[in-house]
Parts: sequence; C-alpha cells; structure tokens
Amino acid sequence: MPEARSTIVWVHGDCLNPYGPALQLHPDAPAIWVWDDALLDQWQISLKRIVFIYECLLELPVVIRRGDVATEVVAFAEEHGAQIVATTESPSPRFRAICKDIRRSFKVQTLPVDPLINYDGHIDLKRFSRYWRVAERYAFDPTKPEAAQERFDFGGNK
Amino acid sequence: MMTNDRNMRRDFADREELITYIREQFPDTVRVDDYVSTTVGGRKAAEKQLRAIQPGRYAKSRNFMNGAVTRLSAYIRYGVLGLAEVRDTALRRARNKNETQKFINELGWRDYWQRLYAQIGDGIWQDREPYKTGYSARSYAADLPEDIREGSTGLKCVDSFSQELHETGYLHNHARMWMASYIVHWRRVRWQAGARWFLEHLLDGDPASNNLSWQWVASTFSHKPYFFNRDNLERYTDGVYCRDCPLVGHCDFEGSYDELAQKLFPHKTD
Repeated sequence: MPEARSTIVWVHGDCLNPYGPALQLHPDAPAIWVWDDALLDQWQISLKRIVFIYECLLELPVVIRRGDVATEVVAFAEEHGAQIVATTESPSPRFRAICKDIRRSFKVQTLPVDPLINYDGHIDLKRFSRYWRVAERYAFDPTKPEAAQERFDFGGNK
Repeated sequence: MMTNDRNMRRDFADREELITYIREQFPDTVRVDDYVSTTVGGRKAAEKQLRAIQPGRYAKSRNFMNGAVTRLSAYIRYGVLGLAEVRDTALRRARNKNETQKFINELGWRDYWQRLYAQIGDGIWQDREPYKTGYSARSYAADLPEDIREGSTGLKCVDSFSQELHETGYLHNHARMWMASYIVHWRRVRWQAGARWFLEHLLDGDPASNNLSWQWVASTFSHKPYFFNRDNLERYTDGVYCRDCPLVGHCDFEGSYDELAQKLFPHKTD
C-alpha cells in the first residue's frame, strides 16, 4: 500500500513551511489545516493575522477546514482510511492537548524541526544568560549548509 | 485535491478576493478592527525577506527605528522559516563570524523562549517572580486603558505606536519595549493586559516570546524594571515623534533615569 493511504499530515501554526519535517517525510499524504474556532474567539485574533496565516496556507498542499481541531483531524484521517497522523513538534500546551485527543483514535507521529542548538544535554533556563553560556557553543555551527545552499541562490557570498 | 463542502476555499484571483472571503468567513474578527498588513504571508515572501538580511548592518543599527532589522519575525513565529536555516543563511551572508554574533544571539532569544514555553506551558501567563518595583501585583490595574488602545493619550510616540500596531501588525522591538514600559510602569497596568493586546495584533505574536518579554520589562522575569526617558526615545527614533508632540518638554518621559526612577518606583529598595 502506498504510504499516503496510511498517514495524513496535520499542519499547525508552528510550522507553515512546505519544507517542514511532516510534509517532507510524507510528500504524498493528504494534509489538513484546521482553523481553531475556539482559539480565534478566545484571543480575538485580528483580521490581519488571519490573512497572513491564510496566505501561508495557500502555499502548502493542505485542505483547509475549521472547527474543533482534534475532531476535524480525526474526521479527515477517517475519510482517508489512515492509521497515523503525522505532525511537527510544538512547545504549545494546546498542541499537546490536541495530540492527546487525536491519540484516542490514531497514532500520532511528532517530528522535530532542525534545532538551532544541536545539544541534548541539560540547559539551565533560569535566565537567558545561563542558557546562552551553553547554547553559544552550538549556535554558530551550521546545519546542512549544502541543502540550504541548494534551496537559495544568494550569489556573492558563496 | 478532493472537494468537500467543509473545505474552505483555496482559489483566489488576488489578495483582495482572499481578504473579502476572510471577512465573510470570520465576521467576529472584523469587529476587532478591519486592517490588513502589507506584509504578505507564505514561504515565497519569507525567502525573499531572508535573502535581504544584512547581519553586519543589523548588529550596528538594530536598536534604531530606521535600522537594518530583518522583518523575519512573523515568518519565524509560524515556522515558515526555521531558526536553523535562518542561522545558516546569516553565516553565509556575513563577511565574517563576528558580524553574525548579535543576529544569532537574537535567534537564541527565540529558542530560549520556546524552550521555556515547553517547560512551563501556560505558566507564561503567571508572574514568574514578584515585581521588583516596590509595588505588589495587586497595585497594577487588570485592564488596558482605552486611551492606549485608541491611541488618544496625547503622547505622540505612544499614540503612533498604538496606531502602527493596529494598522500594520508590526512594531519595532524598541517600540515594543517603550510601549510595554509605559503601560506597566507609567500607567501601572498588569503586563498581562498589554501582552494580550499585542497578541491580538502582532503578526509575529507568539505567546512565549511576547509574554516573557513583557515580564522582562515588568521585572517579573528580570532583576529590575525596564524603563526609558525621552532622550533615549528621541535618539533611537531620530526625534520624529518628539518633533510633532504637543507635550514636548513636559511629557511623562522627561528627566534623568534617577529622576524617573524616583517618580516611578518611590517605594523601591535596592
């Protein structure tokens, strides 16, 4: 069976990137974005923010729906007979709650983005200065410079 | 792509048609205000902006309102651009590593806020520490005063920043700091009220970066409150607000830092 039949991609507001890990790993899978009606209402998100996000979505291969996010993602996965919902990691507590709801029906595959700091050890977050003391050692190491070079042609600085 | 009645539209002849559709679909949002930013969303626009960054000039001029800021924040906030690829681009575009120091340090702030968010979640809405202003949290008003929201305080700078926030969804970082400081320390309003207002309007509005930066200004996540005086504002704005301000010479921000500290934080003990 092709992968597209077993996996759908849920795109959320922390990764509106066509080169994001979930869309990259599952390029042929059906993908969905859901406008979180409760969130828009709660936060009174202004028109200009919605326009900006909508413009980002129009460059992504996603079906756009609205409502309760977990309910809509689950319905979309069922429509496609999928078993797995793939998405991109996010620190947001709302993201975690939605994943928890989706997990009642489907397996959720959460993929990480390329980190700024390629270090898995403990970092003290009490103050930025403490974080930076450790992070600074890794922050200037380029990741995948060749791949990035392919994507852009800046000229001059090669 | 399959058709389905529940699917929202993706086919628009132009931006105007998209905006009209959004106004129809999200009528509640138009009640907040009806402005649309000139900053366009999407990966193509993001890449164009990324190609224009000048890390060396950024380092030297970023605190000035007309400095070489990158305007990448909205794209980074929504992950249209990843921090790692932005860093990689900066490293390629700079003439030497030294030129990238400040820019990559600022990317570090974004990474730091995100890591803290993962750790404390909705705790970003609570005071991380007590205010170090001589006042307790109870001394601060819960709601944002209407004259700030409406841009009718009479202070040319504050009113202009309020208007810019509403109309464009963007404020220069320094203007965000001045606004936050004015709201929390001059008007003695809880930082949460201002943070919530910013999140309604900023295209790059991210709960963690926004709230924790407000807390830094308020002193609930720093050792001391951030405040400024007119000389500072005038210098970094090239005087454009003070020049036309009816209150120039006797505005709330006049005075030395010591004088303003006395006025703003009379009960503060170091």
